[in-house]
Amino acid sequence: MTQAIRRRWVSLVVAAALVPVGISAVGQAQAQAPKTLVIAIGADQTGLDPQTVENNESGFIMSTIFDSIVNYKPGSSIVGPGLAQSWTISPDGRTYTFKLRPGVTFHDGTPMNAHTVAEDVDRAINPNNPCYVLGRKGVDTYDDFTFGSAKDGTVAKMDVVDDSTLRFTLPKPNAPFITSLAMVWQGIMSPAATKQYNCDASQHPVGTGPFKFVEAVRNDHVTVDANAGYWGGRPKVDRIIFQVVPESATRMLQLERNQVQILADVPPSDYARVRGNPQLKLYTQPGLTILGVSMSNDLGPFKDVRVRQAMNYAVDKDAINKGLYGGATTASQGVPPVLWGFNKAVTPYPYDPAKAKQLLAEAGFPNGFTTDMMVYANPRGYNPIGGAKLGEAVQGYLAKVGVTVKITQYEWGAYLDKIRHTQWEGMAISGWSGDNGDPDNFLGDLFEWDEAAGKARTNNNSRHHNPAFDRLIVQARQVTDQAKRAQLYEQANKILHDDAPWIFINYTNQVRATRANVRGFLLNPLQMFFHMELVSLQ
Amino acid sequence: MTVPALALAPRAPRRSAALSWRRLVRSPNLLVGFAVLVLVVGCAGFARELAPYSPIDQVFTDQLKPPSAAHLFGTDEFGRDIFSRCLYGARIALVVGVIADGIAMLLGVVLGTVAGYFGGRADAAVMRVVDVMLAFPYLLLAMIVVAILGPSLTNAMIAIGIVYTPQFARVVRGAVLAIREQEFVEAAGAVGARAPRILARHVLPNVLSPIIVMATLTVGFTIVETAGLSFLGLGASPPTPEWGSMLATGRSYMLTAPWIATFPGLSILVTVVGFNLVGDGLRDLLDPRLRGRGF
Repeated sequence: MTQAIRRRWVSLVVAAALVPVGISAVGQAQAQAPKTLVIAIGADQTGLDPQTVENNESGFIMSTIFDSIVNYKPGSSIVGPGLAQSWTISPDGRTYTFKLRPGVTFHDGTPMNAHTVAEDVDRAINPNNPCYVLGRKGVDTYDDFTFGSAKDGTVAKMDVVDDSTLRFTLPKPNAPFITSLAMVWQGIMSPAATKQYNCDASQHPVGTGPFKFVEAVRNDHVTVDANAGYWGGRPKVDRIIFQVVPESATRMLQLERNQVQILADVPPSDYARVRGNPQLKLYTQPGLTILGVSMSNDLGPFKDVRVRQAMNYAVDKDAINKGLYGGATTASQGVPPVLWGFNKAVTPYPYDPAKAKQLLAEAGFPNGFTTDMMVYANPRGYNPIGGAKLGEAVQGYLAKVGVTVKITQYEWGAYLDKIRHTQWEGMAISGWSGDNGDPDNFLGDLFEWDEAAGKARTNNNSRHHNPAFDRLIVQARQVTDQAKRAQLYEQANKILHDDAPWIFINYTNQVRATRANVRGFLLNPLQMFFHMELVSLQ
Repeated sequence: MTVPALALAPRAPRRSAALSWRRLVRSPNLLVGFAVLVLVVGCAGFARELAPYSPIDQVFTDQLKPPSAAHLFGTDEFGRDIFSRCLYGARIALVVGVIADGIAMLLGVVLGTVAGYFGGRADAAVMRVVDVMLAFPYLLLAMIVVAILGPSLTNAMIAIGIVYTPQFARVVRGAVLAIREQEFVEAAGAVGARAPRILARHVLPNVLSPIIVMATLTVGFTIVETAGLSFLGLGASPPTPEWGSMLATGRSYMLTAPWIATFPGLSILVTVVGFNLVGDGLRDLLDPRLRGRGF
């Protein structure tokens, strides 16, 4: 026998020996029939360490593995108990004291208490921590958003009062702090895991949540298994597989064939298809989102507020929202109506091309002008049809009032870089999904001028600058009474509407589809898969 | 030898017989391809007269209508008439395809002739560059060029032109190499003709047929590749009725409104088949040696 033939024989024998093993494995699987839920997501996660990522798909998965110090209540953006059973806020709004839940352990057996939680949060606030997140290159983080940053002296101070009590002291009152703590991006990771994987447990996540991480296969899937000892009750399914399926048509077909049970994204063009199928169920909820066309408030024709208002009058937003977005709510101001601080008295700019032409003439552009528009192709949570299509629709309407728009499409990464970090002139598709359910996260992040730095905040890409507006935003951060804060935000929204820094297009609905036998599923305004322990398969 | 050298340097042989009308008519490929091209060119030329609607006007009330008498190919998500857009798209496809092909041909002929005729270092240098370019997948190379120049239809044409240059260069070099060794070229050199004259009068006319065949066959590819770039958002910008970008936007409606992607796809298919049939036919007629050799 030659070497090659012998090798072939050996492999045949090995294969034959393996057959019975395979059969028995199949037999076992059939006997137990574990309940597996498959969720189709459009792109892969970029890491599963909550403090070091900002990407939606990562958030979807992490929301099943981690708890935060406080969690959002099922189906809402209202803060409820999480790892902390209760908490108190000092009257001056600067000190937050959390009482942690007893008897909870991380998936790796590490006990969850004030010491271990503090050890994990320390990465966010202590520059001397060897795993300090803000000092690491190439990570996206909400740590400074939530806790402030040590660099500009705004960072929160943390004290372990006793085994089950954790206290944060803020340098100045910051009302959104508690809602930010509930974000999936502030999920608590086992400090043992962070240590074991040399500060980077992003592919070996260990939390306290309803599901335990099993495996992640790049661009294919992530598997998590039920955590039988979950403090919130044992999950009703045994396993969740997040399957990466980039093509939306493929996702739809897989749902129809019951290869997946939940779709994380559904394009508006498929709404009717899901509604028409008794095997499927469409979930919709007003989104915690805003979408519009940002204009360069400090450059070109858009310096003139009349031009910006004219753009708002020139576009038939209702037709676009009905035709392309499957019935999204037309936008009028900087926060969606589901959020407190929304000003009901402020209504959208009506579609009025004559008024638009008149305003353009008053501003010195009786014959219109030519401008550039930047768009991206991919769908976003706040823009399910992608930027290019919205751009094309707006371009069509603006042409009717004499404004010629030249569209350039960029890849998403390049697009963000362009609108955030360059002095671009013209228009750009802009949108936002709420991070923590606080109006400051819309009005402050998207439209505030950073007086201290003398420039627009990173995501204020239209470079909107109105001192009266900025004063209200700063003031609202310093009060803890929500009713008072709401009033301030309502005033700010009125100013924003009149300033027209964007063409306000819509507040997209959050839409997901499931098989009809999926029960207990709740959409969350923050788009994450929170409280999946409540979901069952009938 | 006392024979006057001039007599030994005949004019480039003419292949008048090869192009005879009778042979042309006898080639069904050529005829069908030619008919298809006449149709496509007609659509492009008379798009304004033939199109029942404007290709760019958005009518949201007519959104996603299936094909009917009012809208032969249906309407897209903006309520635009797809038939009208396909007609105008023919104009863009032809212009883009022919210009990109022209760029490739021009560059390829210059490089191929230099390499083939002068040989030596020039040959080595040109052909190594050509080899490197051929090692890249076409679309990847085109995307690199567009990334450098910036996305637009013009730059897409230039990119595709550059990408197809090596193929022309290879074919032309080979042909020139063969012609260079012929006695009439040698004779022309012997009577004192300089390189430009020899190239223009004796060499190029003799490599014309492979160039024509190659050019015709390549138009189909350049149309597909440009559509590919537009499909990826690196070519035509909206609302230009370009077939590739129509395909791209139609893709997300494949399950609910398949006509949006189907008709521009068919338009590309028909046009490319037309060019390829003509190319095949011409190859059979002009250069039988190339038969069966795929590009």
